[in-house]
Amino acid sequence: MPRNQLLKVVFVLALIVGSLFSLYPTFQLGGMQKNETFLVSRITKLTGLTKTDIEVGLTEGTLESKVRDHTSQDSLENALQLADHLIKLNTKIIKVEGKAIRRGLDLQGGTYLVYEVDLPQLLNDVAKNKDQRLIDIIKATQKQAEQSGNDFFDVLQENFRSRNVRLNRYFGRKGETDDDIIKELLKASEDAIDRTIAILRNRVDQFGVSEPSITKQGTRRIVIELAGIQNIQRAKKVIGTTALLEFKLVRDSEMVWSVLNDIDRVMRLKRKGQQPAKVDTAKLAEADTTQFKEGKKAENKEVSLSDLFGGDTSQTKAGKDTSLLVDQNTFNEKPFTSLLRQVTGRYSNVISVPIQNVAAVQRILQLPEVRQVIPSDSEFLWRIKPVVVGENSYQQLYLVKKEPELLGSTLTDAKVQISGGAQSLTSGAAVVNFQLNSEGTKTFAKVTGMNVGKQLAIVLDHHIAMAPNIKGKIPSGSGQIEGMSSIDEAKDLALVLRAGALPAPVYAITENTVGPSLGHDSIQKGQKSAIIGLLLVVLFMIFYYRGSGAIADFALLLNIVFILAFMAGFHATLTLPGIAGIILTVGMAVDANVLIFERIREELRTGKTIRASIDSGYSHAFKTILDANVTTLITAIVLYSFGTGPIKGFALTLSIGIIASMFTAIFVTRLIYDIITSRVALKKLSI
Amino acid sequence: MQFFKETHIDILGKRKFAYMFSGSLILIGIISLIVHGGPKYGIDFTGGTSLEIKFEKNISAGDIRNSINKIGYGSAEIKRIGVPEDHQFIIRVEQMGEGADAATVMENQLTKDYPDNKYDVRSAVEIGPKIGGELRRAAVVAILVSLLGILIYVSARFEFKFAIGAVVALFHDVMITLGVFSLLNLEISLAIVAAFLTIVGYSLNDTIVVYDRIRENAKIIRRDSAENIMNISINQTLSRTIITSLTTLIVVVVLYLIGGEVIHDFSFALIVGVVIGTYSSIFVASPVVLEWSKRTASKKGQVLLMRSTR
Repeated sequence: MPRNQLLKVVFVLALIVGSLFSLYPTFQLGGMQKNETFLVSRITKLTGLTKTDIEVGLTEGTLESKVRDHTSQDSLENALQLADHLIKLNTKIIKVEGKAIRRGLDLQGGTYLVYEVDLPQLLNDVAKNKDQRLIDIIKATQKQAEQSGNDFFDVLQENFRSRNVRLNRYFGRKGETDDDIIKELLKASEDAIDRTIAILRNRVDQFGVSEPSITKQGTRRIVIELAGIQNIQRAKKVIGTTALLEFKLVRDSEMVWSVLNDIDRVMRLKRKGQQPAKVDTAKLAEADTTQFKEGKKAENKEVSLSDLFGGDTSQTKAGKDTSLLVDQNTFNEKPFTSLLRQVTGRYSNVISVPIQNVAAVQRILQLPEVRQVIPSDSEFLWRIKPVVVGENSYQQLYLVKKEPELLGSTLTDAKVQISGGAQSLTSGAAVVNFQLNSEGTKTFAKVTGMNVGKQLAIVLDHHIAMAPNIKGKIPSGSGQIEGMSSIDEAKDLALVLRAGALPAPVYAITENTVGPSLGHDSIQKGQKSAIIGLLLVVLFMIFYYRGSGAIADFALLLNIVFILAFMAGFHATLTLPGIAGIILTVGMAVDANVLIFERIREELRTGKTIRASIDSGYSHAFKTILDANVTTLITAIVLYSFGTGPIKGFALTLSIGIIASMFTAIFVTRLIYDIITSRVALKKLSI
Repeated sequence: MQFFKETHIDILGKRKFAYMFSGSLILIGIISLIVHGGPKYGIDFTGGTSLEIKFEKNISAGDIRNSINKIGYGSAEIKRIGVPEDHQFIIRVEQMGEGADAATVMENQLTKDYPDNKYDVRSAVEIGPKIGGELRRAAVVAILVSLLGILIYVSARFEFKFAIGAVVALFHDVMITLGVFSLLNLEISLAIVAAFLTIVGYSLNDTIVVYDRIRENAKIIRRDSAENIMNISINQTLSRTIITSLTTLIVVVVLYLIGGEVIHDFSFALIVGVVIGTYSSIFVASPVVLEWSKRTASKKGQVLLMRSTR
């Protein structure tokens, strides 16, 4: 064999060996996963644990104790042995997984979530002064950016300019130019997103998902991919919580009353000229509620929303059930207070709102004229959950000091505890204990010391979690949050408190969940069609081009090996459209060989020798193949940059396939021809 | 083995028939699009919620609709997929849930209404209306960018008129595939747009092979007319064009038949695209180049195929 031929052969062989080496973990993984499924089903049979229990046990490292708790004595030893095998296998699998081709969410089942960071809220937070004009500008910016698809900050700057307002009125320092401020805001938002990603990663890690992927997309989006997760709703709740923890003082009853009086006055004026509500369909009052403030028994009655807001029906279109529960004795005199109740035995400054009145109360509190009479250093906050008294539920409303006394950022730890003690009301319920850092401890001690007898509200994401009475100075810097309805809820709260609050709220804008059964079907069907498609093409090539077809088939197989090896080597993700891309490559990769073979046939027809025909066949076809493939590559690259998830997978395998086919279909097949023709004097070419 | 020995078909001479054939296909597609009020977009582009669900026991689309109506999701679209024994449905609503997501709300209602009929959620997709608009824009941009890229590359490697021919052929392919989708009332999803781009790439591949031959022949056979050179070139590459289309068609048909529901429409678009793309690279791309050459060269009375060859 000539030297340069030998070099080429060595090169191709080295590539093949390297590819197989890179693919080995993927093969290994297949076997391991089969073993895993087998072990899991054995353990399920022995212990009665579900598949989910076992998976959670594996990620949390609590499998052994779970098995111990659920297994009868006689099969315990066997079960523990199996569990031990499973744990060892699982660590191996995790190691190998990092080197194997990653299966996309559409193949293994899982959830793909896109979150957007609430930029308007972030801007609002960093603004020096917040007035209606700023709120209007931000609102308009948000809307325009959505409609036009332009960058949020460009639109913001334009909006300030068109209104003739300098940005430094609200942001940055005096004398700074608009451009500089925009740059700073842009940086602040990027920082916020990076911090958000870090916090979300922390949260998701604690939730126990294998290989979660959290990435930034554009300037304000975060993509989270969770593979094979069991409880999506819970995960989404943990991710979507801002977890902003604040401690705020609750205003005393005198102040609450005076604010309520003011609101009543405003509402009375607003209703002026309206017919007094009819008082015929009165219902009897519940025994345990009284009119707010006056302590008389409330006589409940149902009125419609328009009775309250006047004839302005534009406000009443939303709700299905617009009937409200009011106290008929005071409705005309005190339109607002008549919506409220006081639940016996609670603090007198806590307002209870019957659940059907909540929407109306919320709307009243939003009215501009009502907002004016609420003192600017105070705000109304709702409690997280309604309280149930007898058959009725009430949502509670607190008036608190706007400025928080202390922030949750001073928190160092949060743990779940099951509260004990038979005499305690909350015994057996889950609570979250938290611990503050030294600075937080100092402030906490000062605040509690100065406000003994008052209520300190623990506010989570602008909702009151609880508002206990301060009995005395708390020097330890530790506290407790109660009122969770389940242990899971308490666990999740402790988790988000530990991971920290997000710099700005996030909300989900896309969610795509693939169930494990569909993923499983997709893999099987994808594999099946790939094998059948490949087989048909291979057979066709041999049928049509005989010996040369066999050479092309060898190149084709090599091409597929290279695609897969590349994907494994770069730990790329294989999706179902990705499999389709490989299949399509199979069809298109033979094109290069078809071009060459057809050309060789033509050259042979003109009477050239076999070697000369092969030579000119390859050299003529090469230019065509290059042109044709470059154009296909252009579209594949466009596809890659525009597509999301699965589509990217398709563009990726297609691109790799095209490039690899240039090598296998031209270089490798040529080499094979050269080797054959240099050794044997062919009388007839099998083509 | 050989399907085509040397062929001598007067393809350019029959180009009027090809124009009529292509024109009527496109026209039917456009009429269908007008009747249907534009393409039927999938939720990728419109936003909304789609839930694919497989029940254990028999249930009718009406039963599911009753359940969904109770939540107040009025205009739900409920479609049975697969064979009836699968009890498998796709439920689509415009809503995207507030607080709890729409998919969960629907699941809970179904559990409540049909507690004895267990189900398996195959997939749940929720797309915000904002994303839908963005993706629509991105899809249009992607198609335009790839057409522009092709225009530039082909202009650089060949000549501008060849690029025009190629782009007209690609536009033709996408329009006809779009028309077929409209006629069959199939949805245009993100994956279908990807299929369109693949068709563009594939059809172009075929066209380039023909162009390459024309360029080569234009250098060798100088004395002949442009029409003859094109005819010779198309005939010489005909065998290759058909064989490659055949191998590609084999795999996409296999994909369509057994690739599963997820890529069913995607592979269908590819089947249509491969057939139309092959046709257009023979009957549309080169004739358009010829027409263009004739119009620009009429003053000089001579049709120049390749400037560089003279």
